[in-house]
Amino acid sequence: MIHPVLRWPDARLTQVAKPACVDPQTLTLARDMLATMYDAKGRGLAAPQIGVLTRVFVMDAAWKTGDPVPEVFINPEILWRSPQVALGPEGCLSIPGVTVDVMRHSALVLQWQMEDGSTQAQKLTGFRAICAQHEIDHLNGVVTLDHLATDARAAALAVLG
Amino acid sequence: MIRPCLPWPHQVLRRPAAEVAEITPDVHAIWADMIDTMEAMPGYGLAAVQIGVPLRLAVVDCSTGRGQAVLMANPVVLHASIQLRPHDEASPNLPGVSATIERPRAVTVQFLNAQGALEERDFVELWATSVQHQIDHLAGKMYFDHLSAMKRSMLIAKAGKLGRRG
Repeated sequence: MIHPVLRWPDARLTQVAKPACVDPQTLTLARDMLATMYDAKGRGLAAPQIGVLTRVFVMDAAWKTGDPVPEVFINPEILWRSPQVALGPEGCLSIPGVTVDVMRHSALVLQWQMEDGSTQAQKLTGFRAICAQHEIDHLNGVVTLDHLATDARAAALAVLG
Repeated sequence: MIRPCLPWPHQVLRRPAAEVAEITPDVHAIWADMIDTMEAMPGYGLAAVQIGVPLRLAVVDCSTGRGQAVLMANPVVLHASIQLRPHDEASPNLPGVSATIERPRAVTVQFLNAQGALEERDFVELWATSVQHQIDHLAGKMYFDHLSAMKRSMLIAKAGKLGRRG
């Protein structure tokens, strides 16, 4: 089922999401999130963006340029961050029309639970590393604008109107 | 960061590695390098001693799509199946050779996980083979130490010839 994507400054986008149970309800949530993400033409979506304060995000870094690779991350946790960081432009389905530069770690070791409940870890680099940091921010009630200095934030908000 | 694998018979590969007291940021950084080094081969697992770190740290990833690493500190086998499984094993620490080793087909392993909690996990088939191979490394043992003395020395001699030619 496709859900409406909440728009910033909805209060639900500023809250810390609670740990998820790997149960049928969460798996349905993940399926709905993927459907919503594809419908919204996004490459990542976190549960709070559809109003569910649970630590789940979905990502498909490939579908815009090739075959879809849907991924579900339940209770993600960053175990390691590369010392290298890079500044890059980011949009957000919850802040449409606004692209801001955000500093992100270039690589991560991310651990999460699979849909079968098992825990695994992976080294993420490139777009997937950046996207994962963006989505985990959502799980912690943080959006791209929160990374900006006051003046840059004001400029971004002016675009938003 | 991809790290070079020590050439056997380096001393670090022949000594038991030290227990990890707690999961610190340094441990996470070593695991990150171990994932990179394992992916670069690509291999089904890696023990910290293989990249010269004498700590009881291992990573295992036998998933078909890769990217499903299990990170372990201080792993020990609690239970092993009677049924064995043969696998053609090799090592980046002694390139160019391999040997079929029979190991228990399934094992229950206890380890300190990335959160620093004791975890018990069952591994079967290739996952079980790889995790046992890594636990051997942490005890200063190579896969070919399971071979008879004759087969073992033939394998090492063959690797030596390959090394000189290369």
